[in-house]
Amino acid sequence: MLQNQLIFNQSSVSLEIIGLPDYSNNENKSQISIISQWKLMIIDKPLIEGNIDHLKSIMGAFYSYANFLINNDNAFYESKFIDIKAENYFTHNVLLKSSKPNVKPLKIKIGNSVLSDIINCFDQFNSSIKVRKVNSVILDKHPKKGFLIFINKDKIFSILLPPLISLCSLFLISSTFIYLYNLSEDNDKKALINSKKSLQLHSIDSIKTLI
Amino acid sequence: MKRRAITVLFKRNHISRESIQRLDLLLLTLETIDLNCSESLLNLSNNLNLNKVLPNKVTIWKLRNNNPMRKSFKNNKITIESFEALTKLAVEMSKALYPYIREILQSRDNIDKNPYSWNDFKKRFIELIYERLNINSMRVKKLIDPKGNDEILIKNLLTLALCSTDQGYQKLRTSLLNF
Repeated sequence: MLQNQLIFNQSSVSLEIIGLPDYSNNENKSQISIISQWKLMIIDKPLIEGNIDHLKSIMGAFYSYANFLINNDNAFYESKFIDIKAENYFTHNVLLKSSKPNVKPLKIKIGNSVLSDIINCFDQFNSSIKVRKVNSVILDKHPKKGFLIFINKDKIFSILLPPLISLCSLFLISSTFIYLYNLSEDNDKKALINSKKSLQLHSIDSIKTLI
Repeated sequence: MKRRAITVLFKRNHISRESIQRLDLLLLTLETIDLNCSESLLNLSNNLNLNKVLPNKVTIWKLRNNNPMRKSFKNNKITIESFEALTKLAVEMSKALYPYIREILQSRDNIDKNPYSWNDFKKRFIELIYERLNINSMRVKKLIDPKGNDEILIKNLLTLALCSTDQGYQKLRTSLLNF
């Protein structure tokens, strides 16, 4: 049986989808509902291909990563098949892990231009009426900054740490001074008592001598 | 009915200053690429049937003046409809200018081989900032610092590039309203 093929292009990236229509749903001959194979071709980079699960995972990873970048968050994504990390603000490291044993993971470095091309290709694929949707944009899953601004760990630390440190240092310094003050006070008291005792003894002795 | 009630309850009416500031910076980035951007924005608003919200250039200018970084900053009331219309314009403009945005990003990626597009963009962006924004503000000083503004410029360009698709409006709207 002849399979359908669809290609989505964007500058340096092209995504090829191969599959069959679902005849049980009376679909068109040109439609692709059962994806049997896909290929992601990036100029000057190795060919990426796999089954539908791999495509879902890769699309999810790139969409999540792109959303982190759009939202100005620390861009980082990790999963069973793919890791994406930002090396700096213009290079991204993509690590593709094979599901087959004894196959080394493939590391690809991409720039911002290629990343935007990949997202564009995936968006074309997602909005195409000729293919069944594989992965919707993961926008709703992203935490809302407005609601979680107080739960942001970095912000809490940056806000609370300086006054905490200053309070601790104040407490430590003042407590040492209080201790020293008490010591000196005790010494003064002891000296006073001793002098009083000696005076008393002296006076008793003088009275005795007088008698 | 229940769903509608929930959306009405949670519908956001307040636009934060950070949101309008970021949107205006994105529009400034587009203006850096397209010299005739104000005219293009008006044409786009006509094509997208946004005439009711954005009937002329002055309305767009007034809305953009809500950016506290601007020299002519005025705290006008900005409605969610006008904010969404401006966001739509930004997305549509970035769709039209995607090849140029990509070219500038690529120039920054390979700065040793082809620095011209990036340098030209950066130079014009700084000129625009001197023209439009209040240079005494610390945030604006960061933007015009040639050593430190690369990150901000790349982030703006990348945001526009990632949102220059059919689903771009939804992405950009969600991102901007989260600020």
